Amino acid sequence: MDFLNSILVKPFADMFGAPDFLLQVLWEGLVSGVLYALIALGFVLIYKSSRIFNFAQGIMVVFAALTLVGLHEKGVPALLAVPLTLLVMFILAVAIERVVLRPLVNQPDIILFMATIGITLFLVGFGEIIFGGENKVMITQELHIPTGSFEFEPFGGFVSIEQKDLTAVVGAIVLVAGLLLFLNKSKMGRAIRALGDDHQAALSVGISLSTIWVLVWFIAGVIALATGIVWGARAGVSFALEVIAFKALPVLMLGGLESVLGAIIGGLAIGVLEKLFEIYWGQPLLGGNTETWFAFVFALLVLLFRPQGLFGEKIIERV
Amino acid sequence: MKNLMKTGVALLLLGTALAPAAWAQDAINVTNLSYRTGPFAATGIPLMNGQRDYMMMLNERDGGVNGVKLNYDECETGYNTEKGAECYEKTKATSIVTQPWSTGITLQVLPKSNVDKIPILAPGYGFSPMTDGKIFQWAFNPPASYWDGASMILKAISDGNLDSLKGKKIALLHLDAPYGKEPIPLLQAYAEKHGFTLLPIPVGLKEMQNQSAQWLQIRRERPDFVLMWGWGAMNAGAVTEAVKTKFPMEKFVGIWWSGHDGDMKSAGEAAKGYRSISWSLPDSNAPVMQDIKKHVVDTGKSLIGEGEFDWVFYQRGVLISMFAVEGIKAAQAHFDTKVVNAEQLRWGLENLKIDEAKLAEIGMTGMIGTFSTACNNHAGHAGGWMMEWDGAKFVKVSDHLEADQDMIAPLVEAEAKKYADANAPWPINEECK
Repeated sequence: MDFLNSILVKPFADMFGAPDFLLQVLWEGLVSGVLYALIALGFVLIYKSSRIFNFAQGIMVVFAALTLVGLHEKGVPALLAVPLTLLVMFILAVAIERVVLRPLVNQPDIILFMATIGITLFLVGFGEIIFGGENKVMITQELHIPTGSFEFEPFGGFVSIEQKDLTAVVGAIVLVAGLLLFLNKSKMGRAIRALGDDHQAALSVGISLSTIWVLVWFIAGVIALATGIVWGARAGVSFALEVIAFKALPVLMLGGLESVLGAIIGGLAIGVLEKLFEIYWGQPLLGGNTETWFAFVFALLVLLFRPQGLFGEKIIERV
Repeated sequence: MKNLMKTGVALLLLGTALAPAAWAQDAINVTNLSYRTGPFAATGIPLMNGQRDYMMMLNERDGGVNGVKLNYDECETGYNTEKGAECYEKTKATSIVTQPWSTGITLQVLPKSNVDKIPILAPGYGFSPMTDGKIFQWAFNPPASYWDGASMILKAISDGNLDSLKGKKIALLHLDAPYGKEPIPLLQAYAEKHGFTLLPIPVGLKEMQNQSAQWLQIRRERPDFVLMWGWGAMNAGAVTEAVKTKFPMEKFVGIWWSGHDGDMKSAGEAAKGYRSISWSLPDSNAPVMQDIKKHVVDTGKSLIGEGEFDWVFYQRGVLISMFAVEGIKAAQAHFDTKVVNAEQLRWGLENLKIDEAKLAEIGMTGMIGTFSTACNNHAGHAGGWMMEWDGAKFVKVSDHLEADQDMIAPLVEAEAKKYADANAPWPINEECK
């Protein structure tokens, strides 16, 4: 009886007993969710256009953030370092298309996937040589990202919202909205979607595979930079940022690999749910640290009922 | 003439074949299972740099140790246990010591050391019961174990009166890995004895930089103190969240691997007052540091970055290499040989005598407490000091602290025996031969 009470009653009693704390938990979950969604978006874009699962997305976050901070350390003003970093990410996209992807056209998906592991290893070594492995401080203030906090006292309690978290949420919304607009309204965006739907058909109407691949890898680079700034502002820029890419995997399982909307909703859902579960069930009942597995279990449960994910396409193959 | 030519060629070939062997005879290989890459690289780099530069300085200044060059080498593990085990296998034939650099790797290679007869040197880390040299004959964790660290932290936060912790709640924010879990048995024993509540809060690898859930728990539970067993990016993540949660910094104390200048830079001024126990004290003006500067840094041979020379971790790396070197020197003297092997080094590490005279001789006075090792004491228990972050660097804020061995020793004995029983047949050196 006590056990059922601790699972079914106490957590909800705790939520309503301290609503200010619940609000804080929801906010923190939302911020995490936005950040997960950002990382997942990078994966989705590349998968949509090329059917490649980009293992290098995590290291691209590190590389973009290190380039930004590294350029600033060399004396480049922060606001100039951002476009210069984007230029570096563009050059990286061109190099990946020319050196890695183009020679592997028509190879099985697993070969392309392995190639992205190669890109990861290269970027780890290359990044180490150029920037070193030490923890670096993100140039938050130089980028005019506010660092204070808004504090409220709802229900007689206390809720604190970090301004940089708020900026991250707003920035992510703007980025995603711009991306959706680009994908749905621009000629290039439609070309990316066409390529994602059917490579052969897209090529037959004159869509350039190499141009689109450069474009999507560049957009993934832009997302990587945004993700790197946001995460780097929280705890510094180091190669540890690479592991956060793994947080996107359950998001992709949940939202579907081809769906931009799925990445966003999946990210937000996992961010909020894992935080609620950890605080009200995981810590009191399981000793905490449930965030390491909750998202995967949740995504697996969803896959039992929708194998293609919440928003993925149902693929029917004739055999 | 033909025979002469044949003899000449044979001698030449023999000479060529023997040359590397002869060269090898004049050097001692000391391999480090380093982690300069991966999520923990920010912590590893200054430590490895310190280790490397001390040995390089000895080679440059003295031509090695008693005329024998030190071949310092690294095998990169990325702090990954599987890669660490591979590195151990790869280097055990050539290196006279294994420096595993993670508690996970230490636990992995611990049983192998008995068979391979190669000493494990894990200064200030590893499995705390390794202190018991009768059971862990090949493992050494000088100058202090994690349990020494936990004991000293409790002494510091209670101002020496552990009974004052009665009724209090102490959270242990720890990496969810063997390293992070190390202090739990001792802290639990202390909690039972002195009546405080211990609240372990694990942090997963992927959550190191986003610890909002852990700090929400801290906000809800309102512990009187938060102790941290963090490594790499976890330290910076925790301090940033502590600032955000407005947790009083003077109530937040880390183990020695959570006191890294590089990690604290992210929080800067806001983390003022955060403390960390340390068995080493940085002193850039110490003769040994000045010699490293002269022979290695100023000659462009060091790999250190800007400001790193003054960091706690860089100078701790220097001290860590000193343990290996002093072990070699002790073995050279005892066995009356120049090129010591792994078994001889084991004797050397078991007979370290780091007293004031020795520290003065090697130019390290004040950088570490005095200690000596013995057959039944592989840690030495040098004690340590509380260091406090002043917004720009760590400064010493306490007198020399010593761990409570009356509390630790029975637990070491019990846990070491438990380990030996679980891994039976396990060789035990009861008579301390």
